Amino acid sequence: MTEPLLSARGVTVRFGGLVAVNGVDLDVDPGELVGIIGPNGAGKTTFFHSLSGVLKPTEGRLVVAGDDLTGRAPHVYAAHGVARTFQTPRVFRDMGAGDNVRFALEFAGRLRRHKHDAFDDVETILGFLGLAEVAAVPAGALTPARQRLLEIGVALGARPRVLLLDEVAAGLTQTELDATAQLIRRVRDELGVAVIWIEHAVRVLMNTVERVAVLHQGAKIADGDPRVVAKLPAVIEAYLGDEAAAVSVAA
Amino acid sequence: MTSQGMRRVPLALAITLGCGAVLATLPWVLSDFLLALALSCLMYAALAVSWAMFCGPTHYLSLATSAFFGLGAYVTAWGLESMPYGLVVLGGGLVGAAFAALIGLAVLHLRGAYFAVITFGLTELTLHSITYVEKTTFETAGRIISDAPETPVIYWTVLGVTLLAVATAILVRASRLGFALSGIGGDEERAQTLGVNTRRVKVIAFALSAFFPGALGAAMAVRWTYIEPLSVFNPFIGFQTVLIAMVGGAHTLLGPIVSSVFFSLFTEFLRLRFPYAFLTVLGLLLVVLVLYLPGGLASLFVRRARTHD
Repeated sequence: MTEPLLSARGVTVRFGGLVAVNGVDLDVDPGELVGIIGPNGAGKTTFFHSLSGVLKPTEGRLVVAGDDLTGRAPHVYAAHGVARTFQTPRVFRDMGAGDNVRFALEFAGRLRRHKHDAFDDVETILGFLGLAEVAAVPAGALTPARQRLLEIGVALGARPRVLLLDEVAAGLTQTELDATAQLIRRVRDELGVAVIWIEHAVRVLMNTVERVAVLHQGAKIADGDPRVVAKLPAVIEAYLGDEAAAVSVAA
Repeated sequence: MTSQGMRRVPLALAITLGCGAVLATLPWVLSDFLLALALSCLMYAALAVSWAMFCGPTHYLSLATSAFFGLGAYVTAWGLESMPYGLVVLGGGLVGAAFAALIGLAVLHLRGAYFAVITFGLTELTLHSITYVEKTTFETAGRIISDAPETPVIYWTVLGVTLLAVATAILVRASRLGFALSGIGGDEERAQTLGVNTRRVKVIAFALSAFFPGALGAAMAVRWTYIEPLSVFNPFIGFQTVLIAMVGGAHTLLGPIVSSVFFSLFTEFLRLRFPYAFLTVLGLLLVVLVLYLPGGLASLFVRRARTHD
């Protein structure tokens, strides 16, 4: 049995009286492609904030590559190979798209190299995302869709071991959505990077990932093969009146 | 930070050195009055450039310049009898940097107006602490500086500090430190998630930028024959520095330099011509610039350069 790359144990986040994340356990192995779904307000993004050190969990433990990082600063997580995107792209608006990626390569990415040579410089990463021709354009001047892609590029520049994607496909057309799902698979297949992907577009996500965890009101109510998870009564109930249709389609 | 930027570093340093060589001849050319004016230009250029070194890319607004300057001046007041002038200037810089590192650790997590207010408050606190120490320990309200060096020596020293400030600014802009600072200015939390220890970077850069006001305070203190806390911790020095840097464009290197020359000459002109109205005119100018040119004078040229691309 190999040690998991990232291990969350009993992660709880409380904001005053509100429990946003409630005792969530999650283990992710190297190179695994895991999805996280859940209705609005299920605590998905808050959980990501704890996995990347942006938010210190009230309780629980976080171990990355064998090191206990509970309560450490975000740059320590980045140094351990945890890279993330934000739901609203957090690119450096005044910097060129290329400099955004260079920033990640220069700091978090400096510590590691990928097994492959792919994605090891600004040009390759931008080219892979179809952003080569906007390398010099300030990131703030890009379209929202391109900023989302650049957000992935910046995360790749950090040369991650595990990539946390928070709704990178929000607001995309069906075609763009499929392209993004393909892109995520390629990142995993070609770089061997583990990916944890949160998305509202449940169908595409379920068809792409090998394993899915379902959060509901801050707690994990299911974790496993998407085809199995989609049929669980608890999952269907959580989505009832919300996105039940989407889940049954995915099944 | 870009490969093009890296290639321009030796050129920029060479130009700085060239300008320095020309400026070094001024004591033989200028009258005493004009040399004093040149000295004031240099001082404000160094203050504005070093302020912009940290505050430009990070968008912090520090009002602590007067504190570093005043501490530097007191290093001279306390040390000039036992140490040579050059060593006192170096000491002033080091004291400024050490003090900045100390307060940086305590307050650099604050942002915006909070940071501005607390740095201003710390300047006042430093002023009153020095006054207290002087009164209780040394039983004096002020100090007389004897053995002040000649004006040309002061001028060359201040020129040296200014050149060092400009060279440091050039190197910081081209380095990883400068890159990290612009990331912090863009989105500090994002910079953290991309592996930047932002706390460490900010403290280092803040301390580095405070070396220069400290050294300048020590170098300029000998211009006054009598030193007291109220005159060397003058908040006007801090405000003027911020003003000059912002009017010139704090995100550029040349902006603060050009604007410090302009400001020093302009204030001198106003002071001589309209001794009673000069602060009013200065205030109005500031209002107009902030309202209509928030990016500073440099933004005019940047905008024009962009449309030419």
